[in-house]
Amino acid sequence: MVTQRVDHKWGMVVDLDRCTGCQACVVACQSENNLPINTKDLFLQRRAYEWIRIERYWEGEFPDVKARFIPIMCQHCENAPCEPVCPVFATYHNDEGLNVQVYNRCVGTRYCANNCPYQVRFFNYWEPVWPERLRNHLNPDVTVRSRGIMEKCSFCIQRIRRAEVTVERRERSNLDYATMKKRNFLPACVSACPTNALNFADQADASGPVKEYFDDVNEHPHNEAHDRKTRGYRLLEEMGTKPNVIYLKKVDPFPLRKGVGHGS
Amino acid sequence: MRPSAKMLTLGLVGLTVTVVVGFLIAVLLISWFSNPPFGLGNAPPQPIAFPHTVHAGSTADGGMGIQCEFCHRNVTRGDAATVPAVEQCLFCHKTIGGTEDTAKTEIAKVRQSFEENDPINWERVHRLPDHVRFIHEAHIRFFTDPDQPTRTGINGESIGQPLTVAETCSVCHGDVAKMTEVQPKQGQSLKMGTCLDCHRNNNVATDCTVCHK
Repeated sequence: MVTQRVDHKWGMVVDLDRCTGCQACVVACQSENNLPINTKDLFLQRRAYEWIRIERYWEGEFPDVKARFIPIMCQHCENAPCEPVCPVFATYHNDEGLNVQVYNRCVGTRYCANNCPYQVRFFNYWEPVWPERLRNHLNPDVTVRSRGIMEKCSFCIQRIRRAEVTVERRERSNLDYATMKKRNFLPACVSACPTNALNFADQADASGPVKEYFDDVNEHPHNEAHDRKTRGYRLLEEMGTKPNVIYLKKVDPFPLRKGVGHGS
Repeated sequence: MRPSAKMLTLGLVGLTVTVVVGFLIAVLLISWFSNPPFGLGNAPPQPIAFPHTVHAGSTADGGMGIQCEFCHRNVTRGDAATVPAVEQCLFCHKTIGGTEDTAKTEIAKVRQSFEENDPINWERVHRLPDHVRFIHEAHIRFFTDPDQPTRTGINGESIGQPLTVAETCSVCHGDVAKMTEVQPKQGQSLKMGTCLDCHRNNNVATDCTVCHK
């Protein structure tokens, strides 16, 4: 039997209504992808980085104030601004709709990071170091990026690939949505999220959690007529980068009273 | 006409530059195309002189004919082929002590290592770079799968029957069963082109992320 492959197109939906800003995704990503430990020194140099970060901002003014959180990872744009500026094709778009960074091609020009509107590409200014006791904690499926190259969120492609190999070669079954789901192909942040705010699946998988949002957002490109049926939107949508990550607006049952606070 | 002193100096300098540049180009070409470069990197000294010929060699050649995957147990189950635990050597060597003097001393080392709970520090011979993901299991399953209708060899030759595990191993590692010491010179150069040739021949995915991590 020859196994049949499904051409995947991955997508992530982030439900901001469920995000509590707990940073579990950040920690999960850090340990899955062999990120160096962000020390105080690195923060002072502004060279600390996380592939997925929680951006916090305040709404309203004291005392009527609310904290809002947005997890921001590589948006895997379809029209990625980082791709055409790379002189060595270290970043490219693969068949599965992922924006891939090939570390051993990268020469460290940093053009891509300068062209990224989401600021999710990070440059290794230093050789990554870990305390001796963490040496054996490194994930063997992810290479350790050396100094001088760019890195970013990969949607944990190593997990997708491992699931594919297991399904295709060990189980010798077709590579469709149902068989993939029995394997853990979810990115580390998604499997770590305690409130299921992060969802990851194939954009065309009708039984998956993301299809309705991608269909809706793709049908109404810029929501000019406010006719979207879901709460979905993309970050910096007006730039036309077409990210493969969709955010769902927060529905606030207790909105701030208008005209409250010092500013009024 | 005799060349002037100035011309003679210039000629000498030119000759030197040509020789030096030519030498550098030759070195670069040889190190790129030969494997391993200049025959360097011969088999590293191992803590115990383990002869693959005796263990894995065919019975006709005086070996035991043990399959690769009997000792390298993880090779059909996971990424790494793995080196067996000392305990596994003792499966046989608890009773087999060897007949020749050299064999006796080497086997005594294995037994000593087992009794002292001191693992043997084998020197690794074959190593891929850190940024390459190679899963032994997937490759062995592909070539040994009887249900696979077509499979193509690394040089484009068509392989009708499914290979045995040992035949699959020797595609890349060379015929280890005939090596007294495992040599770093493999059956293939194992540059990226080798991997890609075989993936293209067999119509397997060639996306960068399939192999690069």
